[in-house]
Amino acid sequence: MHLKRDIIAIALFGLLYGILALFIQNSYYLLLLTILPIWSVMGLSWNLFSGYSGLISFGHAAFFGLGAYLVAILLNSWVISPWISVPLAGILGGLAALMVGIPTFRLRGHYFALAMLAYPLALLYIFEWLGFQELALPMQREAPSLYMQFENQHIYVFIALFLMVVAMLVTAYLSRSRFGMSLLALKQDEEAAEASGINTQYWKALAIMLSGVLAGTAGGFYAVVLLVVTPLAVFGMLVSAQALVIAMFGGVGTLWGPIIGAFILVPLSEILYAQYAAEIPGIQGVIYGLAIVVVILAAPEGLLWKLQAWFRPRQASVLGTTSSQLNTEIDETVLAVSNDRQQEKNVLEVNNLSKAFGGLKATRDLSFTVKQGELLGVIGPNGAGKTTLFNLLNGFQKMDSGAIVFSGKSLAGLPPNKICHLGVARTFQVPKPFTRLSVFDNVIVGAYVRSKNNHEASELASAALMLVGLQDLAYSPAANLTNRELRLMELARALASKPALILVDEILAGLDSKAMEDLVRVLRKVTALGITIVIIEHSMRTMVELVDRFIVLDHGALLAEGSPDEIIKDTKVIEAYLGKKWLEGNAEAN
Amino acid sequence: MLKLTKVHAGYGGVDVLHAIDVDVKSGEFVAIVGPNGAGKSTLFKTISGIVTPSQGSIEFLDTNLLTVPAAKRAHLGIAHVPEGRQVFSSMTVLENLEMGAYTRQGQLHWDATLEKIYTWFPVLAERQAQLAGTLSGGQQQMLAISRGLAANPKILLLDEPSMGLSPAIADEIFDRLIEIHRSSDISLVLVEQRVAEALHFASRAYVLEAGEIILSGDQAVLQDDERIRQAYLGM
Amino acid sequence: MDIAQEIENLLQSLVAGLLTGSTYGLMCVGLTIIFGVMRVINFAQGEFMMLGMYFTYFCTTFILAQFAVSGIYLPFFIALFAGPVIYLLGDVLHRLLLNKVSGQRANQLEAGGHYAQLVLTLGIALVLQNGGLYLFGSTPVSVSTSLSYTAWEIGSPEGISVFVNQAQSLAAVLAIAVVLAFGYVIGKSRLGKSLRAAADNPDAAIYMGIDVERAHRIAFGFGVGITAIGGGLLAAYAPFQPYIGTEYVIIMYAGVVLGGLGSIRGAFLGGLSIGVLQQVSASILPNQLQNTVIFVCFLIIILFRPNGFFGRRERVA
Repeated sequence: MHLKRDIIAIALFGLLYGILALFIQNSYYLLLLTILPIWSVMGLSWNLFSGYSGLISFGHAAFFGLGAYLVAILLNSWVISPWISVPLAGILGGLAALMVGIPTFRLRGHYFALAMLAYPLALLYIFEWLGFQELALPMQREAPSLYMQFENQHIYVFIALFLMVVAMLVTAYLSRSRFGMSLLALKQDEEAAEASGINTQYWKALAIMLSGVLAGTAGGFYAVVLLVVTPLAVFGMLVSAQALVIAMFGGVGTLWGPIIGAFILVPLSEILYAQYAAEIPGIQGVIYGLAIVVVILAAPEGLLWKLQAWFRPRQASVLGTTSSQLNTEIDETVLAVSNDRQQEKNVLEVNNLSKAFGGLKATRDLSFTVKQGELLGVIGPNGAGKTTLFNLLNGFQKMDSGAIVFSGKSLAGLPPNKICHLGVARTFQVPKPFTRLSVFDNVIVGAYVRSKNNHEASELASAALMLVGLQDLAYSPAANLTNRELRLMELARALASKPALILVDEILAGLDSKAMEDLVRVLRKVTALGITIVIIEHSMRTMVELVDRFIVLDHGALLAEGSPDEIIKDTKVIEAYLGKKWLEGNAEAN
Repeated sequence: MLKLTKVHAGYGGVDVLHAIDVDVKSGEFVAIVGPNGAGKSTLFKTISGIVTPSQGSIEFLDTNLLTVPAAKRAHLGIAHVPEGRQVFSSMTVLENLEMGAYTRQGQLHWDATLEKIYTWFPVLAERQAQLAGTLSGGQQQMLAISRGLAANPKILLLDEPSMGLSPAIADEIFDRLIEIHRSSDISLVLVEQRVAEALHFASRAYVLEAGEIILSGDQAVLQDDERIRQAYLGM
Repeated sequence: MDIAQEIENLLQSLVAGLLTGSTYGLMCVGLTIIFGVMRVINFAQGEFMMLGMYFTYFCTTFILAQFAVSGIYLPFFIALFAGPVIYLLGDVLHRLLLNKVSGQRANQLEAGGHYAQLVLTLGIALVLQNGGLYLFGSTPVSVSTSLSYTAWEIGSPEGISVFVNQAQSLAAVLAIAVVLAFGYVIGKSRLGKSLRAAADNPDAAIYMGIDVERAHRIAFGFGVGITAIGGGLLAAYAPFQPYIGTEYVIIMYAGVVLGGLGSIRGAFLGGLSIGVLQQVSASILPNQLQNTVIFVCFLIIILFRPNGFFGRRERVA
């Protein structure tokens, strides 16, 4: 299993590092060997949040600095040992991260980055004002080891090594779990992730909190090693930049990337600094700046990804994988709708639904019901408001007025992931795959909302894949799929959340007739499980044979509803689609 | 004038259009009809250069368009009225038109062109200082078409101009398009979902389905065709 | 302190704030152009300001040395030349670096290249900042003239009077002039309109035959050039060192966000407000906290009103 392999690799790496350290006696190099793991932890910390979620943080110095100052202040004012205060620094880092993150998550990408930049800079000024220009950690004459002060530098190296190994183990475990997968999914397509039931706000908060814990701990220990803390050294932009560059240089969203980044960049900059700082002040900044520029231009996601692209091109596009495997023994009835659900008469009731964008009325006073188990077609000319309707039903848009009741529960104001949790799934007009994940992982991400553990998720995902017929492609990167396969995968992802209702948006668009037949067959299998489908489509030829009932939208209002026979003969419908002139033309001909 | 030969095109390595042959002669009014997802917008984006074909050739007046980057194609005389109008909403009506006349051809006879535009669409003259984003859908469509005309183009490509507009306004737009076609020698290529309109005015049409041209011919031929009825109403 | 004294202090802060704020406003305009047209957050904006300052410093000292002219107005006018020079630098940097991660090429990168642009400008900032440290040394320099400590006194010396610093006033006048000139270019010229069109709807702009990539490059050049002029004007009355960019980045962003990202008028008014805020809080709070107030203000705006107060929503000019 991947995780076991990672753990063994980490252990070996730690062991080698430790043994190497034992052979070094030079004081300067031992300091370097201590600093190196600290920055590795910072890189891993940044990676855990920004690398996986895609939200770029320029402010990790805030957590680092707070950790450093906590340790320094506690030792100075209350003589509290770093053995206690370093873990506390971690906790403080986590809390600060939560406080910083939660209000800031609302912001779009660049606003988020700007806000994150402001936090450490503000703290820098505040701490300068508080008088902490230079805070030294006093030597403890009695029982120095109780205060993490050792003659033997090797001990510092081992503590640092310990912290790094722990950070690596945490990353290895999380990256393969639903934490990692959920973050990677939301990084690629936050909307699709929400619609699949992933509580994006929760995962982002958790990620930043853990990231803050690691950064705070690193900062706390950094104070112990350096013995003096200044605002610029711990809150300065260089700190945040270092965390970012290390992770980016080595490889964003990977376990070993930050390690590689740190092990290349930190010795380089430290040695150059030692040699040339007198003649070339600011050389560290230049090195890191150049590293960023080179990496962004040549290998925007880091060294590790570039290497993978060279040596293993097919797999290179995949960001991460779960530890779960495809299970071909599963029966598709595992996805069937429960019996009591099947007893309900109306699965969805929409009443007087209205939505306007500026002056444009996209949805006007729309009312209709969807019966349990039926296949309802939604048709109408372009711009009629069909996709807007779906967006309202699944929570991407908030209605202006009206009511949406699903199995007796109101969906008003609920976020998409909650609506998915209640049993409404969705596919999109233009497929929204998580391109950098495998097909199986795309689908398993949809299963998280309905499963308590990886085993259950794996079962649901496997059943869904087999129902749509994509089991042979399970481990292919989603990026390699054809249009037809992408649509089937999206359907599988929706099915994996064990919905009672699926909103299918133009799933047949762009397919040739054979592919359309395949999809129709799959849709019929889905209905056979008791799942209700509401489908938007344009291909009338296919729809007429597939659906039980139609509703026709035009300019956001209900134009007609009825059986396929009734609808194709309805003059209003013909006029809306073919145009009045057609009607006249054909009337003459007939 | 505009000739596509065996063009294959798509996004991200996956072809959406297969072996497309389209030929538009000078002064013609040609329609492209087809269901959603058939590839009509992709076809337009390929002609305007936003999408690069994986195979095939596109010629415009003896120039190989594949060697001309998107931003330069307008300067050759190709005007594009995109789907969804895409007016510059933060700029005024007049400024939008001025942007339409960005090319040299457009600048040459600007005053005369502007007058013609205002004759065809007097509502734009009334609202020339108004922000384009505050216009109604129909007015924005008129603006988008005028923007295309402002360049004094040789060929005008229109992508679903009636989308999201009420039938009455759409009819008005089509009537104007007819007027424009009659009173100038601009070639028009029209993509439409409202099949009847498209077939009524165009001299020729291509039917696009699943990325392929399944039918082409003149008005009479298409109106009688069973396949059109099937494609649009499953009858 | 009696009321008259307090009023006088307040008025003084207001006046000083409006004057320095005008120069801030100019710098904010530069920043907002880049964001408005390119949708890029330029982290290196402060460094271009710093380069404008050093340009002004070196040119002024050179000319004064060579030509022995009287130079109390000299740095102000040199500052204006910093604009085109830094524009050229911006143009080159865009061609070499930023181009690769914006526009069409960026569509293959994640998040449409926004992440790459952000990080790239951070890299450029680090290089410029620390390169500056090496080239110029860390000692603060200044090219201020006697104007910096001459002021007009308005009001009666016995009652309430306010000092209007001459250097700050000249800087403010020039800043406003540049903003107006630039506003005219953006509003009325064909080039300006093409930039606005490229900002409003890049795809439609391409259809019109507008080279959007070139528009971005021009906008970037303008953006850094204008901010450099602002820096040069500031240099004429205040000391600076290579790291000054970091301090001002947040000030500029606070002003831009206050005014609404992408709006020129908003950016100027935002910068003006930040100037006033800074001066007023300087008279109340201890020294180091001045900038903290601005940060806090910035955070509050970003968190509660990211679209700002003065400009239209996400539009240029």
